[in-house]
Amino acid sequence: MIARVGDVVIGVTREVGGIGVLMLQVLRALLPWPSMDARELWRNLYRMGVKSLPIILATAFFSGAILVVQSGIFVRRFGAEGLLGWATGYSTFREIGPILIALMFSGRVGSNNTAELGTMTITEQIDGLRALAIDPIRYLIVPRVTAMMVMLFALTVFGDFVAILGGALLGQVVVGVDTSVFWHSLFSNLGTWDLVHGLVKSVFFGLVISLTSCYFGISVRGGAVGVGRAVNASVVASAIGIMVTDCLLTLLMK
Amino acid sequence: MIRFSRVSKAFRDPLLVDVDLDIESGAIWGLIGPGAGGKSVLLKIAAGLMRPDAGRVEIAGRDITGDDETALAQTRERIGMLFQNNALFDFMTVLDNVAFPLRRRGVADDEAEARAEKRLRAVGLAGSEHKMPSELSGGMQKRVGLARASVADPEVVIYDEPTAGLDPVTTSKIYDLLREDHEASKPTTIVVSSDVDALLSFAPRVALLEGGVLRYDGDAAAIAESDDAVVRQFVTGSLEGPL
Ligand SMILES: Nc1ncnc2c1ncn2[C@@H]1O[C@H](COP(=O)(O)OP(=O)(O)OP(=O)(O)O)[C@@H](O)[C@H]1O
Ligand SMILES: [Mg+2]
Repeated sequence: MIARVGDVVIGVTREVGGIGVLMLQVLRALLPWPSMDARELWRNLYRMGVKSLPIILATAFFSGAILVVQSGIFVRRFGAEGLLGWATGYSTFREIGPILIALMFSGRVGSNNTAELGTMTITEQIDGLRALAIDPIRYLIVPRVTAMMVMLFALTVFGDFVAILGGALLGQVVVGVDTSVFWHSLFSNLGTWDLVHGLVKSVFFGLVISLTSCYFGISVRGGAVGVGRAVNASVVASAIGIMVTDCLLTLLMK
Repeated sequence: MIRFSRVSKAFRDPLLVDVDLDIESGAIWGLIGPGAGGKSVLLKIAAGLMRPDAGRVEIAGRDITGDDETALAQTRERIGMLFQNNALFDFMTVLDNVAFPLRRRGVADDEAEARAEKRLRAVGLAGSEHKMPSELSGGMQKRVGLARASVADPEVVIYDEPTAGLDPVTTSKIYDLLREDHEASKPTTIVVSSDVDALLSFAPRVALLEGGVLRYDGDAAAIAESDDAVVRQFVTGSLEGPL
Protein backbone atom coordinates (compact mmCIF):
# COMPACT_ATOMS: atom_id res chain seq x y z
CA MET A 1 0.00 0.00 0.00
CA ILE A 2 2.63 2.52 1.10
CA ALA A 3 4.84 1.35 -1.73
CA ARG A 4 2.01 1.98 -4.21
CA VAL A 5 1.36 5.45 -2.86
CA GLY A 6 5.09 6.05 -3.13
CA ASP A 7 5.07 4.91 -6.78
CA VAL A 8 2.20 7.27 -7.58
CA VAL A 9 3.95 10.19 -5.89
CA ILE A 10 7.17 9.46 -7.77
CA GLY A 11 5.24 9.12 -11.04
CA VAL A 12 3.39 12.41 -10.58
CA THR A 13 6.56 14.19 -9.53
CA ARG A 14 8.33 12.94 -12.62
CA GLU A 15 5.57 14.12 -14.97
CA VAL A 16 5.28 17.53 -13.30
CA GLY A 17 9.06 17.84 -13.40
CA GLY A 18 9.07 16.93 -17.09
CA ILE A 19 6.46 19.57 -17.82
CA GLY A 20 8.50 22.11 -15.83
CA VAL A 21 11.64 21.27 -17.82
CA LEU A 22 9.68 21.66 -21.06
CA MET A 23 8.51 25.09 -19.91
CA LEU A 24 12.10 26.17 -19.28
CA GLN A 25 13.12 24.87 -22.71
CA VAL A 26 10.30 26.85 -24.31
CA LEU A 27 11.36 29.98 -22.44
CA ARG A 28 14.96 29.45 -23.49
CA ALA A 29 13.91 29.01 -27.11
CA LEU A 30 12.29 32.44 -26.90
CA LEU A 31 15.65 34.01 -26.02
CA PRO A 32 17.31 36.26 -26.96
CA TRP A 33 14.44 37.36 -29.12
CA PRO A 34 11.05 35.61 -29.47
CA SER A 35 10.93 34.24 -32.99
CA MET A 36 9.15 31.25 -34.42
CA ASP A 37 8.27 29.63 -37.69
CA ALA A 38 5.46 31.78 -39.09
CA ARG A 39 3.95 28.96 -41.17
CA GLU A 40 3.68 26.68 -38.17
CA LEU A 41 2.22 29.44 -36.03
CA TRP A 42 -0.49 30.32 -38.57
CA ARG A 43 -1.32 26.69 -39.22
CA ASN A 44 -1.80 26.08 -35.51
CA LEU A 45 -3.72 29.29 -34.83
CA TYR A 46 -6.12 28.31 -37.58
CA ARG A 47 -6.73 24.69 -36.76
CA MET A 48 -6.64 25.10 -32.98
CA GLY A 49 -8.64 28.30 -32.74
CA VAL A 50 -10.79 28.92 -35.76
CA LYS A 51 -11.77 25.29 -36.10
CA SER A 52 -12.76 25.11 -32.42
CA LEU A 53 -15.05 28.12 -32.60
CA PRO A 54 -18.36 26.34 -33.38
CA ILE A 55 -18.08 23.74 -30.65
CA ILE A 56 -16.88 26.26 -28.06
CA LEU A 57 -19.68 28.68 -28.89
CA ALA A 58 -22.31 25.95 -28.73
CA THR A 59 -21.02 24.80 -25.33
CA ALA A 60 -20.93 28.35 -24.05
CA PHE A 61 -24.44 29.16 -25.24
CA PHE A 62 -25.94 26.13 -23.56
CA SER A 63 -24.00 26.53 -20.33
CA GLY A 64 -25.24 30.12 -20.02
CA ALA A 65 -28.75 28.97 -20.79
CA ILE A 66 -28.65 26.09 -18.30
CA LEU A 67 -27.28 28.36 -15.59
CA VAL A 68 -30.27 30.69 -16.00
CA VAL A 69 -32.83 27.91 -16.19
CA GLN A 70 -31.43 26.28 -13.04
CA SER A 71 -31.45 29.49 -11.05
CA GLY A 72 -34.89 30.39 -12.46
CA ILE A 73 -36.66 28.46 -9.71
CA PHE A 74 -35.03 30.52 -6.97
CA VAL A 75 -35.38 33.75 -8.87
CA ARG A 76 -39.14 33.25 -9.02
CA ARG A 77 -39.52 31.95 -5.47
CA PHE A 78 -37.62 34.87 -3.91
CA GLY A 79 -38.62 37.45 -6.47
CA ALA A 80 -34.98 38.07 -7.26
CA GLU A 81 -35.46 39.01 -10.94
CA GLY A 82 -33.05 41.89 -10.48
CA LEU A 83 -30.22 39.57 -9.54
CA LEU A 84 -30.38 37.13 -12.46
CA GLY A 85 -28.12 39.14 -14.76
CA TRP A 86 -25.57 39.71 -12.04
CA ALA A 87 -25.51 36.07 -10.92
CA THR A 88 -25.17 34.75 -14.45
CA GLY A 89 -22.44 37.23 -15.37
CA TYR A 90 -20.51 36.74 -12.16
CA SER A 91 -20.36 32.97 -12.35
CA THR A 92 -19.81 32.90 -16.12
CA PHE A 93 -17.02 35.45 -16.27
CA ARG A 94 -15.18 34.27 -13.21
CA GLU A 95 -15.55 30.49 -13.28
CA ILE A 96 -17.89 28.67 -15.61
CA GLY A 97 -16.77 30.37 -18.82
CA PRO A 98 -13.01 29.95 -18.48
CA ILE A 99 -13.14 26.49 -16.97
CA LEU A 100 -15.72 24.89 -19.27
CA ILE A 101 -14.12 26.35 -22.35
CA ALA A 102 -10.69 25.23 -21.16
CA LEU A 103 -11.95 21.69 -20.59
CA MET A 104 -13.58 21.59 -24.04
CA PHE A 105 -10.43 23.01 -25.56
CA SER A 106 -8.29 20.42 -23.80
CA GLY A 107 -10.58 17.64 -25.03
CA ARG A 108 -10.53 18.83 -28.60
CA VAL A 109 -7.20 20.56 -29.16
CA GLY A 110 -4.98 19.20 -26.38
CA SER A 111 -5.75 15.57 -27.12
CA ASN A 112 -5.26 16.11 -30.82
CA ASN A 113 -1.94 17.82 -30.14
CA THR A 114 -0.68 14.94 -28.00
CA ALA A 115 -1.69 12.41 -30.63
CA GLU A 116 0.00 14.37 -33.40
CA LEU A 117 3.27 14.96 -31.55
CA GLY A 118 3.20 11.38 -30.28
CA THR A 119 2.87 10.02 -33.80
CA MET A 120 5.68 12.29 -34.94
CA THR A 121 7.85 10.95 -32.14
CA ILE A 122 7.29 7.27 -32.87
CA THR A 123 7.72 7.74 -36.63
CA GLU A 124 11.07 9.50 -35.99
CA GLN A 125 9.86 12.80 -37.44
CA ILE A 126 11.26 14.58 -34.40
CA ASP A 127 14.67 13.00 -35.10
CA GLY A 128 14.09 13.94 -38.73
CA LEU A 129 13.84 17.59 -37.70
CA ARG A 130 16.94 17.34 -35.54
CA ALA A 131 18.79 15.76 -38.46
CA LEU A 132 17.95 18.88 -40.47
CA ALA A 133 19.51 20.99 -37.69
CA ILE A 134 16.10 22.16 -36.52
CA ASP A 135 15.37 22.48 -32.84
CA PRO A 136 12.06 20.63 -32.32
CA ILE A 137 11.25 22.79 -29.28
CA ARG A 138 11.57 25.98 -31.26
CA TYR A 139 9.96 24.65 -34.42
CA LEU A 140 7.14 22.47 -33.05
CA ILE A 141 6.49 23.32 -29.42
CA VAL A 142 6.86 27.10 -29.25
CA PRO A 143 4.26 27.83 -31.99
CA ARG A 144 1.85 25.36 -30.43
CA VAL A 145 2.14 26.81 -26.94
CA THR A 146 1.72 30.31 -28.34
CA ALA A 147 -1.24 29.35 -30.50
CA MET A 148 -3.01 27.57 -27.67
CA MET A 149 -2.57 30.43 -25.22
CA VAL A 150 -3.72 33.05 -27.70
CA MET A 151 -6.63 31.01 -28.97
CA LEU A 152 -7.94 29.87 -25.60
CA PHE A 153 -7.95 33.51 -24.52
CA ALA A 154 -9.83 34.56 -27.66
CA LEU A 155 -12.27 31.66 -27.42
CA THR A 156 -12.98 32.55 -23.80
CA VAL A 157 -13.79 36.15 -24.80
CA PHE A 158 -16.23 34.93 -27.46
CA GLY A 159 -17.53 32.16 -25.22
CA ASP A 160 -18.26 34.51 -22.29
CA PHE A 161 -20.18 36.76 -24.62
CA VAL A 162 -22.25 33.98 -26.13
CA ALA A 163 -22.93 32.39 -22.72
CA ILE A 164 -24.34 35.66 -21.41
CA LEU A 165 -26.42 35.98 -24.56
CA GLY A 166 -27.77 32.49 -24.00
CA GLY A 167 -28.54 33.42 -20.40
CA ALA A 168 -30.37 36.61 -21.34
CA LEU A 169 -32.38 34.84 -24.01
CA LEU A 170 -33.47 31.92 -21.84
CA GLY A 171 -34.04 34.33 -18.95
CA GLN A 172 -36.66 36.06 -21.01
CA VAL A 173 -38.22 32.98 -22.62
CA VAL A 174 -38.17 30.49 -19.74
CA VAL A 175 -37.82 32.45 -16.51
CA GLY A 176 -39.71 35.52 -17.64
CA VAL A 177 -37.07 38.12 -16.73
CA ASP A 178 -37.06 40.86 -19.31
CA THR A 179 -33.72 41.26 -21.14
CA SER A 180 -33.53 44.93 -20.19
CA VAL A 181 -33.72 43.94 -16.50
CA PHE A 182 -31.10 41.26 -17.16
CA TRP A 183 -28.66 43.65 -18.82
CA HIS A 184 -29.22 46.33 -16.23
CA SER A 185 -28.48 43.89 -13.42
CA LEU A 186 -25.39 42.70 -15.26
CA PHE A 187 -23.87 46.06 -16.11
CA SER A 188 -24.61 47.83 -12.85
CA ASN A 189 -23.22 45.09 -10.63
CA LEU A 190 -20.22 43.75 -12.51
CA GLY A 191 -16.94 45.50 -13.10
CA THR A 192 -14.21 45.02 -15.69
CA TRP A 193 -12.27 43.13 -13.06
CA ASP A 194 -14.79 40.27 -13.08
CA LEU A 195 -14.19 39.80 -16.79
CA VAL A 196 -10.42 40.25 -16.53
CA HIS A 197 -10.26 37.80 -13.63
CA GLY A 198 -11.60 35.03 -15.87
CA LEU A 199 -9.50 36.02 -18.86
CA VAL A 200 -6.30 35.95 -16.84
CA LYS A 201 -7.23 32.43 -15.82
CA SER A 202 -7.81 31.43 -19.43
CA VAL A 203 -4.27 32.45 -20.38
CA PHE A 204 -2.86 30.23 -17.64
CA PHE A 205 -5.19 27.39 -18.60
CA GLY A 206 -3.84 27.73 -22.14
CA LEU A 207 -0.32 27.41 -20.81
CA VAL A 208 -1.21 24.36 -18.73
CA ILE A 209 -3.01 22.58 -21.58
CA SER A 210 -0.34 23.34 -24.15
CA LEU A 211 2.64 22.32 -22.04
CA THR A 212 0.91 19.19 -20.76
CA SER A 213 -0.26 18.02 -24.16
CA CYS A 214 3.11 18.74 -25.78
CA TYR A 215 5.00 16.99 -22.98
CA PHE A 216 2.93 13.82 -23.19
CA GLY A 217 3.22 13.91 -26.98
CA ILE A 218 7.00 14.12 -27.21
CA SER A 219 7.60 11.60 -24.44
CA VAL A 220 5.60 8.80 -26.08
CA ARG A 221 7.25 5.37 -25.98
CA GLY A 222 6.01 2.15 -27.47
CA GLY A 223 4.23 2.57 -30.79
CA ALA A 224 0.56 3.21 -31.46
CA VAL A 225 -0.43 1.78 -28.09
CA GLY A 226 1.84 4.32 -26.45
CA VAL A 227 0.18 7.18 -28.36
CA GLY A 228 -3.24 6.07 -27.11
CA ARG A 229 -1.98 5.92 -23.57
CA ALA A 230 -0.34 9.33 -23.84
CA VAL A 231 -3.51 11.00 -25.16
CA ASN A 232 -5.43 9.55 -22.26
CA ALA A 233 -2.86 10.66 -19.69
CA SER A 234 -2.62 14.09 -21.27
CA VAL A 235 -6.36 14.82 -21.06
CA VAL A 236 -6.56 13.65 -17.45
CA ALA A 237 -3.44 15.56 -16.43
CA SER A 238 -4.67 18.72 -18.20
CA ALA A 239 -8.00 18.56 -16.38
CA ILE A 240 -6.27 18.19 -13.02
CA GLY A 241 -3.82 20.92 -13.95
CA ILE A 242 -6.67 23.26 -14.87
CA MET A 243 -8.41 22.66 -11.55
CA VAL A 244 -5.25 23.15 -9.49
CA THR A 245 -4.32 26.31 -11.41
CA ASP A 246 -7.86 27.61 -11.02
CA CYS A 247 -7.73 27.08 -7.29
CA LEU A 248 -4.35 28.82 -6.96
CA LEU A 249 -5.32 31.75 -9.17
CA THR A 250 -8.63 32.26 -7.41
CA LEU A 251 -6.80 32.44 -4.09
CA LEU A 252 -4.17 34.78 -5.51
CA MET A 253 -6.58 37.17 -7.22
CA LYS A 254 -9.12 37.45 -4.42
CA MET B 1 35.78 12.15 -42.45
CA ILE B 2 34.05 10.17 -39.75
CA ARG B 3 35.95 8.59 -36.91
CA PHE B 4 34.76 6.50 -33.97
CA SER B 5 37.17 5.64 -31.19
CA ARG B 6 36.06 2.95 -28.80
CA VAL B 7 32.38 3.91 -29.09
CA SER B 8 29.99 1.98 -26.86
CA LYS B 9 26.25 2.13 -26.56
CA ALA B 10 23.86 -0.01 -24.53
CA PHE B 11 20.11 0.06 -24.06
CA ARG B 12 19.03 -2.93 -22.07
CA ASP B 13 21.84 -5.01 -23.48
CA PRO B 14 25.15 -3.77 -24.88
CA LEU B 15 24.63 -2.88 -28.54
CA LEU B 16 27.95 -1.40 -29.59
CA VAL B 17 31.11 -2.40 -27.77
CA ASP B 18 34.29 -0.35 -28.28
CA VAL B 19 33.67 0.21 -31.97
CA ASP B 20 36.55 1.82 -33.90
CA LEU B 21 35.88 3.24 -37.28
CA ASP B 22 37.58 5.51 -39.75
CA ILE B 23 35.91 6.64 -42.95
CA GLU B 24 37.88 9.13 -45.01
CA SER B 25 36.19 12.08 -46.74
CA GLY B 26 34.52 11.25 -50.00
CA ALA B 27 34.55 7.50 -49.41
CA ILE B 28 31.63 5.14 -49.80
CA TRP B 29 31.20 2.84 -46.83
CA GLY B 30 28.64 0.05 -46.64
CA LEU B 31 27.41 -1.53 -43.44
CA ILE B 32 25.67 -4.87 -43.18
CA GLY B 33 24.73 -7.12 -40.33
CA PRO B 34 21.96 -9.15 -38.72
CA GLY B 35 18.72 -7.49 -37.62
CA ALA B 36 18.63 -5.56 -34.35
CA GLY B 37 22.43 -5.55 -34.34
CA GLY B 38 22.68 -1.82 -33.84
CA LYS B 39 23.21 -0.62 -37.43
CA SER B 40 20.60 2.12 -37.20
CA VAL B 41 21.93 3.16 -33.81
CA LEU B 42 25.46 3.40 -35.25
CA LEU B 43 24.15 5.65 -38.03
CA LYS B 44 22.35 7.90 -35.56
CA ILE B 45 25.52 8.25 -33.55
CA ALA B 46 27.42 9.08 -36.73
CA ALA B 47 24.82 11.75 -37.53
CA GLY B 48 25.12 13.29 -34.08
CA LEU B 49 21.53 12.38 -33.24
CA MET B 50 22.31 9.95 -30.46
CA ARG B 51 25.06 10.14 -27.87
CA PRO B 52 27.29 7.15 -27.24
CA ASP B 53 27.69 5.99 -23.64
CA ALA B 54 31.45 5.99 -24.03
CA GLY B 55 34.05 6.74 -26.68
CA ARG B 56 34.73 9.63 -29.00
CA VAL B 57 33.06 10.58 -32.28
CA GLU B 58 34.56 12.88 -34.87
CA ILE B 59 32.50 14.15 -37.79
CA ALA B 60 33.95 16.18 -40.64
CA GLY B 61 37.01 17.08 -38.62
CA ARG B 62 35.12 18.07 -35.50
CA ASP B 63 35.12 16.11 -32.25
CA ILE B 64 31.45 16.23 -31.28
CA THR B 65 31.73 14.18 -28.11
CA GLY B 66 31.12 17.03 -25.69
CA ASP B 67 29.02 19.25 -27.97
CA ASP B 68 25.69 20.64 -26.84
CA GLU B 69 22.57 20.66 -29.06
CA THR B 70 23.42 24.02 -30.64
CA ALA B 71 26.89 22.92 -31.68
CA LEU B 72 25.56 19.54 -32.80
CA ALA B 73 22.95 21.28 -34.93
CA GLN B 74 25.74 23.08 -36.78
CA THR B 75 27.44 19.78 -37.51
CA ARG B 76 24.16 18.22 -38.65
CA GLU B 77 23.72 20.97 -41.24
CA ARG B 78 26.53 19.30 -43.16
CA ILE B 79 24.87 15.87 -43.04
CA GLY B 80 21.92 14.44 -44.95
CA MET B 81 20.16 11.42 -43.55
CA LEU B 82 17.60 8.93 -44.78
CA PHE B 83 15.93 7.20 -41.84
CA GLN B 84 15.02 3.55 -41.96
CA ASN B 85 11.32 4.43 -41.79
CA ASN B 86 11.80 7.64 -43.78
CA ALA B 87 10.61 10.10 -41.10
CA LEU B 88 8.75 12.17 -43.70
CA PHE B 89 6.90 15.14 -42.22
CA ASP B 90 3.31 14.04 -42.64
CA PHE B 91 1.88 17.56 -42.32
CA MET B 92 3.71 18.73 -45.44
CA THR B 93 3.36 17.85 -49.10
CA VAL B 94 6.00 15.72 -50.78
CA LEU B 95 7.45 18.80 -52.47
CA ASP B 96 7.62 20.74 -49.19
CA ASN B 97 9.33 17.79 -47.53
CA VAL B 98 12.08 17.80 -50.13
CA ALA B 99 12.33 21.59 -50.32
CA PHE B 100 12.45 21.87 -46.54
CA PRO B 101 16.22 21.34 -46.00
CA LEU B 102 16.91 23.94 -48.70
CA ARG B 103 14.55 26.51 -47.21
CA ARG B 104 16.09 25.98 -43.80
CA ARG B 105 19.48 26.74 -45.31
CA GLY B 106 18.15 30.03 -46.63
CA VAL B 107 17.61 29.10 -50.28
CA ALA B 108 14.89 31.29 -51.83
CA ASP B 109 11.46 29.69 -52.12
CA ASP B 110 11.34 29.49 -55.93
CA GLU B 111 14.79 28.02 -56.23
CA ALA B 112 14.16 25.57 -53.40
CA GLU B 113 11.04 24.31 -55.14
CA ALA B 114 12.76 24.04 -58.50
CA ARG B 115 15.60 22.03 -57.00
CA ALA B 116 13.20 19.84 -55.05
CA GLU B 117 11.18 19.15 -58.20
CA LYS B 118 14.31 18.20 -60.08
CA ARG B 119 15.32 15.87 -57.27
CA LEU B 120 11.88 14.25 -57.21
CA ARG B 121 12.11 13.65 -60.98
CA ALA B 122 15.47 12.00 -60.46
CA VAL B 123 13.97 9.48 -58.04
CA GLY B 124 11.06 8.84 -60.42
CA LEU B 125 8.39 10.74 -58.53
CA ALA B 126 7.43 13.42 -61.02
CA GLY B 127 3.71 14.03 -60.62
CA SER B 128 3.53 13.28 -56.90
CA GLU B 129 4.81 16.67 -55.74
CA HIS B 130 1.54 17.84 -54.29
CA LYS B 131 0.49 14.63 -52.60
CA MET B 132 0.81 14.12 -48.88
CA PRO B 133 3.28 11.42 -47.75
CA SER B 134 0.43 9.25 -46.43
CA GLU B 135 -0.97 8.99 -49.97
CA LEU B 136 2.19 7.29 -51.24
CA SER B 137 3.19 3.65 -51.26
CA GLY B 138 6.01 2.49 -48.98
CA GLY B 139 8.56 2.43 -51.79
CA MET B 140 7.54 5.90 -52.96
CA GLN B 141 7.93 7.25 -49.43
CA LYS B 142 11.39 5.75 -49.32
CA ARG B 143 12.30 7.61 -52.50
CA VAL B 144 10.97 10.90 -51.08
CA GLY B 145 13.19 10.32 -48.03
CA LEU B 146 16.14 9.72 -50.37
CA ALA B 147 15.43 12.91 -52.25
CA ARG B 148 15.19 14.90 -49.02
CA ALA B 149 18.43 13.45 -47.63
CA SER B 150 20.53 14.45 -50.62
CA VAL B 151 18.80 17.56 -51.99
CA ALA B 152 21.02 20.07 -50.21
CA ASP B 153 24.30 18.46 -51.38
CA PRO B 154 25.56 17.67 -47.87
CA GLU B 155 29.19 16.76 -47.19
CA VAL B 156 28.08 13.51 -45.57
CA VAL B 157 25.07 11.43 -46.62
CA ILE B 158 23.78 8.59 -44.52
CA TYR B 159 21.27 6.14 -45.94
CA ASP B 160 19.52 3.63 -43.70
CA GLU B 161 18.07 0.94 -45.98
CA PRO B 162 17.69 3.08 -49.13
CA THR B 163 16.24 0.23 -51.17
CA ALA B 164 14.07 -1.61 -48.65
CA GLY B 165 10.69 -2.34 -50.20
CA LEU B 166 11.79 -1.41 -53.72
CA ASP B 167 11.60 -3.70 -56.74
CA PRO B 168 14.90 -4.82 -58.36
CA VAL B 169 14.70 -2.35 -61.24
CA THR B 170 14.01 0.62 -58.96
CA THR B 171 16.78 -0.63 -56.68
CA SER B 172 19.27 -0.49 -59.56
CA LYS B 173 18.03 2.97 -60.48
CA ILE B 174 18.48 4.17 -56.91
CA TYR B 175 22.06 2.87 -56.77
CA ASP B 176 22.76 4.53 -60.12
CA LEU B 177 21.47 7.76 -58.65
CA LEU B 178 23.62 7.41 -55.54
CA ARG B 179 26.62 6.76 -57.81
CA GLU B 180 25.88 9.88 -59.89
CA ASP B 181 25.52 11.97 -56.74
CA HIS B 182 28.79 10.66 -55.49
CA GLU B 183 30.59 11.42 -58.73
CA ALA B 184 29.11 14.91 -58.83
CA SER B 185 30.06 16.23 -55.40
CA LYS B 186 31.97 13.40 -53.66
CA PRO B 187 30.06 13.35 -50.38
CA THR B 188 31.16 10.86 -47.75
CA THR B 189 28.48 8.21 -48.22
CA ILE B 190 27.37 5.67 -45.64
CA VAL B 191 24.84 3.02 -46.60
CA VAL B 192 23.20 0.35 -44.49
CA SER B 193 21.38 -2.27 -46.50
CA SER B 194 20.09 -5.77 -46.08
CA ASP B 195 20.33 -6.16 -49.85
CA VAL B 196 23.88 -7.47 -49.45
CA ASP B 197 24.69 -8.18 -53.10
CA ALA B 198 23.58 -4.77 -54.32
CA LEU B 199 25.50 -3.07 -51.53
CA LEU B 200 28.68 -5.08 -52.16
CA SER B 201 28.70 -3.95 -55.77
CA PHE B 202 28.04 -0.33 -54.80
CA ALA B 203 30.39 0.20 -51.88
CA PRO B 204 34.12 -0.50 -52.35
CA ARG B 205 34.48 -0.86 -48.59
CA VAL B 206 32.02 -2.62 -46.32
CA ALA B 207 31.78 -3.58 -42.68
CA LEU B 208 29.78 -6.20 -40.88
CA LEU B 209 28.34 -5.39 -37.47
CA GLU B 210 27.55 -8.40 -35.34
CA GLY B 211 27.52 -8.88 -31.58
CA GLY B 212 28.38 -5.24 -30.97
CA VAL B 213 31.62 -5.28 -32.94
CA LEU B 214 32.72 -4.78 -36.53
CA ARG B 215 33.67 -8.31 -37.46
CA TYR B 216 34.81 -7.20 -40.87
CA ASP B 217 35.78 -3.80 -42.18
CA GLY B 218 37.52 -3.79 -45.50
CA ASP B 219 37.47 -4.53 -49.20
CA ALA B 220 33.99 -5.46 -50.41
CA ALA B 221 35.37 -7.79 -53.04
CA ALA B 222 37.27 -9.84 -50.44
CA ILE B 223 34.51 -10.22 -47.86
CA ALA B 224 33.43 -13.66 -49.06
CA GLU B 225 36.98 -14.93 -48.42
CA SER B 226 37.14 -13.59 -44.87
CA ASP B 227 38.78 -15.78 -42.22
CA ASP B 228 35.79 -15.21 -39.97
CA ALA B 229 33.19 -17.96 -40.36
CA VAL B 230 30.41 -15.59 -39.20
CA VAL B 231 31.24 -13.10 -41.95
CA ARG B 232 31.38 -15.81 -44.61
CA GLN B 233 28.09 -17.26 -43.50
CA PHE B 234 26.35 -13.89 -43.42
CA VAL B 235 27.35 -12.85 -46.93
CA THR B 236 26.57 -16.20 -48.47
CA GLY B 237 23.29 -16.55 -46.59
CA SER B 238 24.08 -20.16 -45.76
CA LEU B 239 22.16 -21.99 -43.03
CA GLU B 240 25.28 -23.88 -41.92
CA GLY B 241 27.58 -22.02 -39.58
CA PRO B 242 27.90 -20.17 -36.30
CA LEU B 243 25.01 -17.68 -36.83
N1 LIG C 1 15.94 4.61 -28.61
C1 LIG C 1 16.02 3.33 -28.23
N2 LIG C 1 15.62 2.95 -27.00
C2 LIG C 1 15.70 1.67 -26.60
N3 LIG C 1 16.17 0.68 -27.38
C3 LIG C 1 16.58 0.98 -28.62
C4 LIG C 1 16.52 2.31 -29.11
N4 LIG C 1 16.99 2.32 -30.37
C5 LIG C 1 17.32 1.05 -30.65
N5 LIG C 1 17.08 0.24 -29.62
C6 LIG C 1 17.32 -1.21 -29.55
O1 LIG C 1 18.59 -1.47 -30.10
C7 LIG C 1 18.58 -2.65 -30.87
C8 LIG C 1 19.21 -2.40 -32.20
O2 LIG C 1 18.47 -1.48 -32.92
P1 LIG C 1 18.84 -1.01 -34.40
O3 LIG C 1 17.65 -0.32 -34.92
O4 LIG C 1 20.11 -0.25 -34.38
O5 LIG C 1 19.08 -2.38 -35.17
P2 LIG C 1 19.41 -2.59 -36.70
O6 LIG C 1 20.70 -3.28 -36.80
O7 LIG C 1 19.25 -1.31 -37.43
O8 LIG C 1 18.26 -3.61 -37.11
P3 LIG C 1 17.45 -3.73 -38.49
O9 LIG C 1 18.33 -4.42 -39.47
O10 LIG C 1 16.28 -4.57 -38.13
O11 LIG C 1 17.11 -2.35 -38.89
C9 LIG C 1 17.14 -3.11 -30.92
O12 LIG C 1 17.00 -4.23 -30.07
C10 LIG C 1 16.35 -1.95 -30.41
O13 LIG C 1 15.27 -2.41 -29.65
MG1 LIG D 1 17.93 -0.55 -38.65
